[in-house]
Amino acid sequence: MMELLAQTGLNAVYAASYISLVAVGLVLIFGVMGVINFAHGELFMAGAYAVVALYADMHLPFFVAVPIGMVFVGVLGLVMERGLFRPLKGNPLGGLVASIGFLMILQSLAVMGFGVRMEHIPPVTQEVWRISDKVGLPVARIYVIVAAVVLLSALWYFLKRTRFGWALRASAQDPEAAALQGISITQTARIAMFIGAALAGVAGALTAPLVSVNPHMGHSVIVTAFIVIIVGGVGSLEGAIIASVVYAFVHTFVTTFSDGVLADIVGLMLMLVVLIVKPTGLFGSADRA
Amino acid sequence: MLLEMRKIAVNYGKINAIRDISIAVPEGKIVTIIGGNGAGKTTTLRAMSGMIPISAGEILFEGQRIDHLPAHKVVAHGIAHVPEGRRIFKDMTVEENLRTGAFLRRDKPEIERDLEQVYDRFPRLRERRVQRAQTMSGGEQQMLAIGRALMSKPRLLLMDEPSMGLAPVIVEEIARIIEEINAQGLSVVLVEQNAELALELAHHAYVLETGNTAMEGPAHELRGNEHVRAAYLGL
Repeated sequence: MMELLAQTGLNAVYAASYISLVAVGLVLIFGVMGVINFAHGELFMAGAYAVVALYADMHLPFFVAVPIGMVFVGVLGLVMERGLFRPLKGNPLGGLVASIGFLMILQSLAVMGFGVRMEHIPPVTQEVWRISDKVGLPVARIYVIVAAVVLLSALWYFLKRTRFGWALRASAQDPEAAALQGISITQTARIAMFIGAALAGVAGALTAPLVSVNPHMGHSVIVTAFIVIIVGGVGSLEGAIIASVVYAFVHTFVTTFSDGVLADIVGLMLMLVVLIVKPTGLFGSADRA
Repeated sequence: MLLEMRKIAVNYGKINAIRDISIAVPEGKIVTIIGGNGAGKTTTLRAMSGMIPISAGEILFEGQRIDHLPAHKVVAHGIAHVPEGRRIFKDMTVEENLRTGAFLRRDKPEIERDLEQVYDRFPRLRERRVQRAQTMSGGEQQMLAIGRALMSKPRLLLMDEPSMGLAPVIVEEIARIIEEINAQGLSVVLVEQNAELALELAHHAYVLETGNTAMEGPAHELRGNEHVRAAYLGL
């Protein structure tokens, strides 16, 4: 029993890692640009397809494919900023609708380029890191965990210790006051969009060999990310990370000990309970929501 | 003249917020803009710093046109704006707020020196360096907003209602700070609801009424003016 608990715990850490990469990106974009990016799940999907194209089809090394995929999705984020969110500045609802349209375009492009069938991606490594006979974690999952820790730490450092990081946070809190400090809101929007999209992209790229890659895979990802940012408090990066961990543990344990459908229901219940008890989310404050 | 506004008009949709306003700010002086609610004081100031587009007229700073520039580019010319309601970054620490004020500067050693100067000027900010700005009192937040503006090393400081919502002793302290900053050579444009305070501090004053300049002159003269005394000083 202890072994099963330990194993499930490790699996939950893996799930928390890629969920938090996606959710943090979503929160960052919302914070700085004020729009909800519905296409965020499809950015995840685009990262996964970058690995399909570069690693599975073109046989580039996996660790070359992943960074290329990450930058590629970051650039998609820049395209969204320029093409959708900047022209719709000051119109959050318009931005949301445009991002839904963009989601459909990305899905259609994936179908046109790769077909609707599930992609087969050769495993990057079959190795398993063993703690005991029955408890272990595939190394491919450890890559995801390490990447999440490294990237989120780097993001934290960037936001807290660099002048562009301060500029980003200042723009998220008060765009007009930020402009009065000489900060170009367009520039911070671009940076936020690139980072947010790239984080979703790298999560998709790293998990591609571990999940079923198909044009509609973004759907469950965005639903999970929404639950997580609502539980964590919309606008709070720390909240998004902590809520990712909470959600991943709850979801993984319920899936393991009961089943996946029930786990989804429990996840949504978690969100409802948080909304009833603390409508601003665990780490949200009223003036940010 | 350090700054000159010539025949400025600003429209919000079909409404003229200000119609025909000309203001001149001489180097090293404090110029105040007073007037009632909706007279166009804040709008005038926001036009100066590029926060709202003007629909007529021109604005010159050190002889250069700045009226077509967005706010974040006006700062680079040396104009810092302490906005109405302070607008500090509440979730950031005091020091992060101040450093954000120096966003455009690259002269690192001088930024550190100026930061020390701001801390010397406002010892309470030094005490609260690592505290989130939200946790501070209104007076401290106003000091932070002024300190943040000073960090951009401006030639001209625009202040919108610095006394708003503050206790009388804090207002006096803010007034002393404005005089001190000005004595060190920084020019100031002060928009104030508190006309008594403004006319006491300023060298020159403009009285706005419904988007037009109703009167202008040396501050001490306006203090003696019948109309100003009746309408704005409550005497």
